[in-house]
Amino acid sequence: MKIEYKVYFSNAVLIGLIVLLGSFALHDLNQILTKFRFTVIADELNASFLAMRLAEKNFILYRDPAVLVGIEGMIDDAADSLDEVKDDITRAVGLENYSRLRAYMDDYALMIGEARRHASVGSQPSEEMQKRLRHAGQRLKEFSESMTSLEQRRVGAIIAKSKSVLLYSVWGIVLFALLFTHLIVANIGLSLRKVVELTQSISKGHYEKIEEKPTSDEMGAVISAINVMASELQRREQEILQSKRLASIGILVAGVAHELNNPLNNISMIAQTYAEVYDHLGRGQRIDFMHRVEEQTERLRVIIKNLLDFSRPKERHRVKNDVNRVVHKTVDLVQNMLDVSNIQLRLKLADNLPAVYIDEHQVQQVLVNISTNAIQAMGDSGELLIASRYLADSGDAEIEIRDTGKGIEPKFLDHIFDPFFTTKEDGGTGLGLWVSYGIIKNHGGNLRVESSVGDGTAFFITLPSYMKIKECSDDETQHHDN
Amino acid sequence: MTKHSIMIIDDEKIVGDMARLSLEQDGYEVETFLDGRSALDRLEVRPFDVVVTDLKMKGVDGLQVLRTVKKRHPKTVVIMITAFANLDVAIEALRDDVHDFFPKPVKLKELKASIERALGKDGGH
Ligand SMILES: Nc1ncnc2c1ncn2[C@@H]1O[C@H](COP(=O)(O)OP(=O)(O)O)[C@@H](O)[C@H]1O
Ligand SMILES: [Mg+2]
Repeated sequence: MKIEYKVYFSNAVLIGLIVLLGSFALHDLNQILTKFRFTVIADELNASFLAMRLAEKNFILYRDPAVLVGIEGMIDDAADSLDEVKDDITRAVGLENYSRLRAYMDDYALMIGEARRHASVGSQPSEEMQKRLRHAGQRLKEFSESMTSLEQRRVGAIIAKSKSVLLYSVWGIVLFALLFTHLIVANIGLSLRKVVELTQSISKGHYEKIEEKPTSDEMGAVISAINVMASELQRREQEILQSKRLASIGILVAGVAHELNNPLNNISMIAQTYAEVYDHLGRGQRIDFMHRVEEQTERLRVIIKNLLDFSRPKERHRVKNDVNRVVHKTVDLVQNMLDVSNIQLRLKLADNLPAVYIDEHQVQQVLVNISTNAIQAMGDSGELLIASRYLADSGDAEIEIRDTGKGIEPKFLDHIFDPFFTTKEDGGTGLGLWVSYGIIKNHGGNLRVESSVGDGTAFFITLPSYMKIKECSDDETQHHDN
Repeated sequence: MTKHSIMIIDDEKIVGDMARLSLEQDGYEVETFLDGRSALDRLEVRPFDVVVTDLKMKGVDGLQVLRTVKKRHPKTVVIMITAFANLDVAIEALRDDVHDFFPKPVKLKELKASIERALGKDGGH
């Protein structure tokens, strides 16, 4: 259900509860009002009944028949007002009680009438009659009073009931509102937390999705939107990577054309000249010509090999390996170069490195390429530092190769990884860093450079740990291992 | 008749070596240079009838050689060769009065024919 509807629903329930509570309260109030009206009437009646009884006592004491007339008048008044408010009274105490009251009253009136008739003829009311008269009066007064007090108690009970109903319902409504709000908010909070986690992981470049089926509410809509965004971002990134690759293929093709053209032209010129001057050449010269052809084909072979290295399938011989071991092997390979150039080597290898998952040969090639560049940049003296370290943040292993050479001019920094970019007068293919970058990227790692002209250059190679690769791309490796 | 002189500039050593062998056999006087700078230095000392230069070179490139030559020795014929068959550069070079333009791989016969044409025309005056 949509959160919007949930909120509507909960509000409707709350309004319903409040209306219900209101009508309860109204009902109780009405009841109290009726009872109250009754007690007001009853009080009046009780007062006149009291007056009647006083008069009755006077009559018995002084035997004045005029008193009886007064009582009769009072009874008539009471009867009139009783009739007048009959509805109110029956509503309050029921028809039965009303009738009883009336009956008692009529009884009493009858008694009074009888007493008056006796008195008017001068005869004394008998003991018996006096008793009956007193009894009827007593009964009327007591009944009326008992009913009044009963009704008063009832009013008290109704008020108490209303009070507790009100109290409990208010608590109930408050609890319901709290509970429902909590449910909705908790739901939103949960979804929001997922969204936050997702956006964080997206910003780190992991285009994950919230896998569970999105709920049908607004948060569900947000989550599906974010999922769509994640896959769209991933697609875009791949497009960018693709177009970068295309751009670099463009550079590459132009470079290949140029690089291949030179040795090709050389071979072609050697062949043409060879044919032209053949007759004038001695045996040694002819062999020299062919050697030069051979040299040029070797040049071509190196270029082609580098190109192939770069385009080779990704994970050919990747195995679990130790970074320091690869570093040591590389050092063996470049040691001679170091000695010739009188360069000091300093190794700073960490012993807490995670295992990596690499094609040893390829990574060694990267280290050799970078070390060779470093040695060439230093010339006749300097220090080559090769350090390895554990990057706690990412769990990756890092290799740093730092030289004290001439450094790289800032304007070249953006181009050193381009194919065929070289500043070397002779012997530079400009493919070393380009190939290295490709290899490291294929390993899921990163290759970056820091350099300052005059001070030296440092290359940083990061390689993801074996654990991370196994966790992240189990299925990917399976696809490539066929 | 004095020998015509030809200057060849290319950072690929073989180009100079081969062109020299071939051209010397045809009776030209040939000097080769591996970069634009040293070639221009040499041009300060003496003129050449024909300059054959590579376009893309480190430091002083073929276009700079062309401009300098045309300024100093307007009668010298300049022929451009390059491994980079880029048309934009070709057009710019031609506008700057280059005699001919050869993409690598160069056909020696065509190059020599072009040189002969240039010198023939020149000799005609
Ligand atoms: N350690 C370094 N110090 C200075 N310059 C460097 C260093 N490493 C690379 N470079 C620059 O990057 C360019 C490209 O390197 P690379 O791709 O290995 O090709 P190459 O070594 O054949 O020139 C080099 O020509 C050089 O200008
Ligand atoms: Mg290199």
